[in-house]
Amino acid sequence: MTEVQPIQVIKGNTAAAVAAKLCRVKYIPAYPITPQTTIIEEIASMIAKKEMDANMVNMESEHSVFSAALGSSMTGARTFTATSGQGLFYAHEVLHAIAHFRQPIVICNVGRPSIPWNIWADQSDSLSQRDTGWLQFYGESSQEILDSIIQGYKIAEKLSLPVMVVSDAFYQSHTSENVNVPEQELVDSYLPQRKISENTIQVESPKSFGGLVPPEIYDRFNKLHWEAMNIAEEETIQAGKEFSKIFGREYGAVEAVNINQNTKTILVALSTITTTIRGVLAKYPEVGLLKIRLFRPFPVISITEIMKSVSPECRMITIDRNYMGEKEGCVHQEMKRALYGKNFPIYDVYAGVGGKDVPPETIERIINFDFGQNVDPVWIDI
Amino acid sequence: MTNNFYIEQEMMYSGSLGCRGCGWSMMVRYISDIFGEDTVYVVPACCFSIIAGPYPMNALKNNIVHSLFAASAATASGVRAGLDAQGKNKTQVVVLAGDGGTFDIGLQALSGAAVRNENIVYICNNNGAYMNTGIQSSSATPMGAVTTTEPSVHFKKNNPKDLMAIIKAHQVPYSATASLAFLEDYRMKLQMAKKHYGFRFLMVDGICPPGHKIEPEDAIKVARLAVNSNAFPLFEIVEGKNKINHRPENPIPVTEYLRLQGRFKHLFSTNGNRDNRNSEILEDIQRNVDERWIELGGNIFNI
Ligand SMILES: Cc1ncc(C[n+]2csc(CCOP(=O)(O)OP(=O)(O)O)c2C)c(N)n1
Ligand SMILES: [Mg+2]
Repeated sequence: MTEVQPIQVIKGNTAAAVAAKLCRVKYIPAYPITPQTTIIEEIASMIAKKEMDANMVNMESEHSVFSAALGSSMTGARTFTATSGQGLFYAHEVLHAIAHFRQPIVICNVGRPSIPWNIWADQSDSLSQRDTGWLQFYGESSQEILDSIIQGYKIAEKLSLPVMVVSDAFYQSHTSENVNVPEQELVDSYLPQRKISENTIQVESPKSFGGLVPPEIYDRFNKLHWEAMNIAEEETIQAGKEFSKIFGREYGAVEAVNINQNTKTILVALSTITTTIRGVLAKYPEVGLLKIRLFRPFPVISITEIMKSVSPECRMITIDRNYMGEKEGCVHQEMKRALYGKNFPIYDVYAGVGGKDVPPETIERIINFDFGQNVDPVWIDI
Repeated sequence: MTNNFYIEQEMMYSGSLGCRGCGWSMMVRYISDIFGEDTVYVVPACCFSIIAGPYPMNALKNNIVHSLFAASAATASGVRAGLDAQGKNKTQVVVLAGDGGTFDIGLQALSGAAVRNENIVYICNNNGAYMNTGIQSSSATPMGAVTTTEPSVHFKKNNPKDLMAIIKAHQVPYSATASLAFLEDYRMKLQMAKKHYGFRFLMVDGICPPGHKIEPEDAIKVARLAVNSNAFPLFEIVEGKNKINHRPENPIPVTEYLRLQGRFKHLFSTNGNRDNRNSEILEDIQRNVDERWIELGGNIFNI
């Protein structure tokens, strides 16, 4: 760490807004939705107070928000927005377009589910967009939201891929925490101005973007995107290392807590639930935590590395705060894929869907749950 | 046609979740009274989605379909078609939407339903901002107003969309504006909407004490000033012709209407005088009100 930086007590949503400012974002098309709204309100306020030099525009829907973000990013301008649940669902078509136009847009999604109306913490919105070609990061603290947006631009601009930083509704977005807000100069040194690329409009070299591609060569576009995705996990680790040199905080694609050859149970979780698990672990020396920070692409390399030290009898329990219309939740599906060919017993628990609180007692109930021969997911606390 | 103010058949339960002085509850009480039992409501995301009651409650003695935000007019078109397919042609289908859900995100579906002349009633509670999410600007937000996305010196700089002109361009059978401060007129328009067949549109001046920064007890007074200053004229459009329903004898200056609302406070300095820049904005607002009034009346004289 180079110097002591100022600590501020701010909410997750404020951290996201401040991160956008620190990244010298130029354009923020916006549309309100609970629980994202205070992010764009904060940005509007910083602009009005002349603390931030950017243009925020009130759009008429999220489809337009993401389309405007696409257009702006195509000119090479650093672009940010934020949304939640219905807004992200409504933008689905554009999410694909942004990824395949290879635009390094970074957004903050404050997760909430679909119908019936619900505005509380749930990851069904972003996890159901896992196949749109975006990188996805799940943040556990306001600090991590802020840091992940800064790293997000670094990775996005390197790979020409969009990045979604996901935060938990209310438990994160509206909860105040200590946040180390870095100096502007440090962020500038980590994140220089965006460079123009072959995917940006340059008036002096006219070309057409996104026109009809015939079947003979369409696959090449997918393959290029796939190649970038394939190195995204390494780039994430690399960006985390560089970040820690300047800011003193370390980040990887995943985080392993108390995982070794004596571990009997590993809980796999995302976002704020991981914080609760950390607190419970003190009582359970044989239980470990695998926090998934990078969810897309799924960090198979990091997970494989960690699992090398683990005994084959160790139980894996995935915690799913999402519902995908499939028997198993999203985290479980991905973990099974990552563990293919290994024989760890693996169980799935639906917990905290629709914002239901997941207190330490629930984590203990999960740890002590007798799954027996049952391979079906368990709906805990229902 | 009865022209009293009274609710004849109460279709709304007491204890709904509106803020004090909220226009939504009052507006819907009259709608549901006049439209009665044989009605299905379609409600996109808006304050009324909350006021109508969280699960398992329902503030109305009717069916409510909570639709997606952009989709109320399309969802209502489907409900209409489904009812018709089962011979339930008499059942009314009524959309209750906010200005954001009408002027902005719902405009495409609204335009589609209007141009198909779907046999539905679309009622917009125009409170001039996204209130459910906490007062963000919509394209119905009036010039000069402060919102959380257009704060302080960044207050709304352009005029709201003229939605009634857009509706008129769709040549629908019946459309009108209405105000909760003019209940006879409002009830008459609900009756007219009920009586017509095809796409019917009503825009009600939406009262919102927290959003407009007014005292709840001033809500109706402010709504009356909106009409009497011509900021919110009362008119109907029948067969392509405007018909003004209320002509203030001496329209009051629009400043009298704006002054009572905290969202315009910055346009008036603390001692009641205005500085130059603000007086230009106020003049702009007055000019726009006058121009639109003449436009409306102009059509009338052409009849
Ligand atoms: C696609 C989508 N985007 C955003 C939202 C969030 N949202 C719910 S209600 C609302 C505000 C509604 O404003 P308006 O239509 O004017 O009705 P009011 O709340 O003022 O009555 C917003 C932005 C949503 N539900 N769906
Ligand atoms: Mg509104």
